Amino acid sequence: MGKKFKKLIKNFSLSELRAGLGITAKELVNKKITVQFPEERTPISPRFRGLHALRRYPNGEERCIACKLCEAVCPANAITIESEMREDGTRRTTQYDIDLFKCIFCGFCEESCPVDAIVETQIFDYAFIDSREGSIINKARLLEVGDKNEDMINKTKLEDAKYK
Amino acid sequence: MLEIEIDGAKVSADPGEMLIAVTDRAGIRVPRFCYHKHLSIAANCRMCLVDIEGSPKPKPACSTPIAEGMKIWTHNDKTKISQKAVMEFLLINHPLDCPICDQGGECELQDVAMDYGADISRFTEGKRIVEDKDIGALIQTDMTRCIHCTRCVRFGDEIAGVMEMGATGRGENLKIEPFLAYGIDSELSGNMIDICPVGALTSKPFRYELRSWQMQSVAGVSRHDLVGSNLLSQTYKGKVKRIVARENSDINETWIADRERFSYQGLSHENRLLMPQIKIEGKWQEVTWNVALDFALKGLNNAVLNNKQTDRLGALATNTATLEEFYLLQKILRGVGTQNIDYRLNIKDLDATINLPSNIKLTDLETLDYGLIIGANLRLEQPLINHRLRKAVLSGAMVDVVNVAEFDFNYQPNNHNIIAPNQIALLLAGVLKVVLESTQAEVLPDLQNLNPNATAKQLAARLLRADNAVIVLGEHLLNIPQVAIIAALITQIAQHTDSKTLNTSLSANSKAADLAGFTPGRDGLDANTMLTAQLKAYILLDIYPQYDFYNSPKAIEAFNNADTFIIALNSFKDEVVLEYADILLPIANFYESPGSHVNIEGLVQSFPAAVSAPGEAKPAWKVFKVLADLLQLPGFDYTANQQITSEATMHQNPKLSKVDVSKVDVSIDLTMKKGIDIIWQKSPYAIDVLLRHSPALQMTKIGQINTASMNAATAKKLKLTQTDDYLGVPVVLSETVADDCVFINANRQTWDRGQ
Ligand code: SF4
Ligand code: SF4
Ligand code: SF4
Ligand code: FES
Repeated sequence: MGKKFKKLIKNFSLSELRAGLGITAKELVNKKITVQFPEERTPISPRFRGLHALRRYPNGEERCIACKLCEAVCPANAITIESEMREDGTRRTTQYDIDLFKCIFCGFCEESCPVDAIVETQIFDYAFIDSREGSIINKARLLEVGDKNEDMINKTKLEDAKYK
Repeated sequence: MLEIEIDGAKVSADPGEMLIAVTDRAGIRVPRFCYHKHLSIAANCRMCLVDIEGSPKPKPACSTPIAEGMKIWTHNDKTKISQKAVMEFLLINHPLDCPICDQGGECELQDVAMDYGADISRFTEGKRIVEDKDIGALIQTDMTRCIHCTRCVRFGDEIAGVMEMGATGRGENLKIEPFLAYGIDSELSGNMIDICPVGALTSKPFRYELRSWQMQSVAGVSRHDLVGSNLLSQTYKGKVKRIVARENSDINETWIADRERFSYQGLSHENRLLMPQIKIEGKWQEVTWNVALDFALKGLNNAVLNNKQTDRLGALATNTATLEEFYLLQKILRGVGTQNIDYRLNIKDLDATINLPSNIKLTDLETLDYGLIIGANLRLEQPLINHRLRKAVLSGAMVDVVNVAEFDFNYQPNNHNIIAPNQIALLLAGVLKVVLESTQAEVLPDLQNLNPNATAKQLAARLLRADNAVIVLGEHLLNIPQVAIIAALITQIAQHTDSKTLNTSLSANSKAADLAGFTPGRDGLDANTMLTAQLKAYILLDIYPQYDFYNSPKAIEAFNNADTFIIALNSFKDEVVLEYADILLPIANFYESPGSHVNIEGLVQSFPAAVSAPGEAKPAWKVFKVLADLLQLPGFDYTANQQITSEATMHQNPKLSKVDVSKVDVSIDLTMKKGIDIIWQKSPYAIDVLLRHSPALQMTKIGQINTASMNAATAKKLKLTQTDDYLGVPVVLSETVADDCVFINANRQTWDRGQ
């Protein structure tokens, strides 16, 4: 009996509503934490493993030498490489595909690369995958990602280098 | 038997063995670079140091002979310290370029460095760089990577027989480089790729294509020569990407000829035939297999089967076909009632083919004490048989040569007898006479009046003296008009001197053709008579008449005959074939079809398919099986290639059963034929269609051989000079060619043989 009565009082005095409104009132004056993505972004660790990029040397030459270590190490078999001797006698890829549906973003490819060619950037909001085939990102696009984001890549990798 | 102790365990060994052989047998890993089972011991890398009890310093296992009661430690601290030190020295100058090195992943240095190398180099001075030289189309060099193990140098010296690589300079300036400006052109050169422990010597056609871990290896057997070399075809995504040697001490040890190693390139040539085609009113149409085979059946019915003219059907095949293909094709022909079957296309006089058996094992060639080579450029025709003979010579055997021109041997024959083709029979008759006289046998009446010359006496004496002699017969004999007499003479000589014979006159897989009965029976026509017999229909297995026939123009004319129905099974497109064929069926080539090779010892070696044939091409044995079913022939219900193999090997061809030498007819007509003889031979890298389509081999010095050599006197008789062509082949004047002889070694089609 006593219990029922207590509940009745609680319901009619709107105590829960008032507690809720209290929080609202407090948050009205507190500092905001909502981020207006994509205009605003949360900070990301330099070690974050997002979309892949293939890098170039400052003189414009692609770094990748088709050693296929990344292909061999990839636990998800996401990387496909074909290679040949380029006209100038250097070893180069003719095909470099990463299947982003297969990739588990482990970063092993980046770890294994002897020339820091394949890296994982901080980009995670790529919305270009529209089909199964679209999930495969090829060499030209990987290089493009690298070209566009070289500054960011350089910066984050430098920051992270201290801890490696 | 001695007993020694390795790492505390008792191991027994033969006296005189080197330590490393014992540890290898016992499965104990001792790192090494310069040691190679089939090469001499150099002991220059010092990687194999082991601790021997009682010895103050560690000793190299590869050059320390064992002794009774020896106690060896292969993994104790003393060994490890020395091995690590050696490793550090070896890595001082080795570049860190594993990521771009084709040896990466299968590199002995990489493997050993994983076990014995330090993580960090203490070497801060500049590293050595060695300039590369272009050493030809087959081998790529990256000499900065060389660790001076000298395996390649010893290989050239000891196995290839031409010292093409050598070490120059001292200390820091020591370089391994080709001695000669033209680079490397031995017929066995590719083996250096296999034996180089690092990436200094790698395969040029394979450069930068794949990693070793990406490929699957399928055991295979080569069909380019009579040895049947064992190899591995390494495949990737359904294509053969590389061939490496497979060890088989009875056949090829660990060596394969360059032909075997690089011919795979032809498989992906753009000229491969990919779709069945039929010719309707002179126009080629691509069709499905069903349509094509129906067309073939109708054609055969119309041409020969319906009107009961089966004796006007013929089948010819290339000598590189498999045992099973030979067997099925002859079974079809015999099934419909004809024996017009042959594979011996390149021979002038088929009645006279040498029916001599080969009765010596390849390994026994090494223990010979006398060899007589007649009519062969053995080094280029049968590189690995020649290699075995060379080993015999190195251990003291004597070899004499009777040839129509002087060829390069990679050992020193005692006598290089250069003899005009029409004199060879006479010489051998002389040898036989001396042999008969000295064995107190009855001298044949034909030989009574003969006066053996000094050479004949010498050869006879040597054959008689030797305990283990072999007479090697080569391809050139088939071009000599008196080949029948020569064969009879050699048979008699071999019998009376107790010599073995090795008949290399028909190469590739021709022993399989013999075993499968792919030869005309008593009532059949042979390859040459077929061409003049105006046959109504042919089944041609991978034939390219402008290369394959003794008389190419005649063959092409016969095939082009308007009312001859021709089923051509080809692996490559060819203008000449397109011209005469009525139906073209694409078939598999090497490594694309299972099959068997029969080698010179008669050993049947079966191999699986490594890849599937490109496009719609099918293994020929399957095509024959379906064709036989369409023809409703009985006995063709095979489901697997092996069933055919066992049937073919069970089947005893009466022609093959042992030749009774005593019954060979020796009426010997030694009247000399006057005139100039042409000895015609396809050059070594043009003998089959696959080789002709392999670009790297064609770029080598051997691949470029295309000469009609003759001496000045012959040239004068023929009114030719150095700048002329003879039968479409450039003339080369050379005094090392016998009189009255033109030796043609052609790598291109020669249309007109002038006879
Ligand atoms: S991140 Fe990992 S899974 Fe993704 S491609 Fe690289 S190695 Fe493969
Ligand atoms: S990205 Fe790096 S690891 Fe991968 S193939 Fe290229 S160089 Fe080698
Ligand atoms: S090239 Fe290779 S085989 Fe020859 S000496 Fe150098 S490391 Fe040895
Ligand atoms: S393997 Fe013994 S010294 Fe090289």
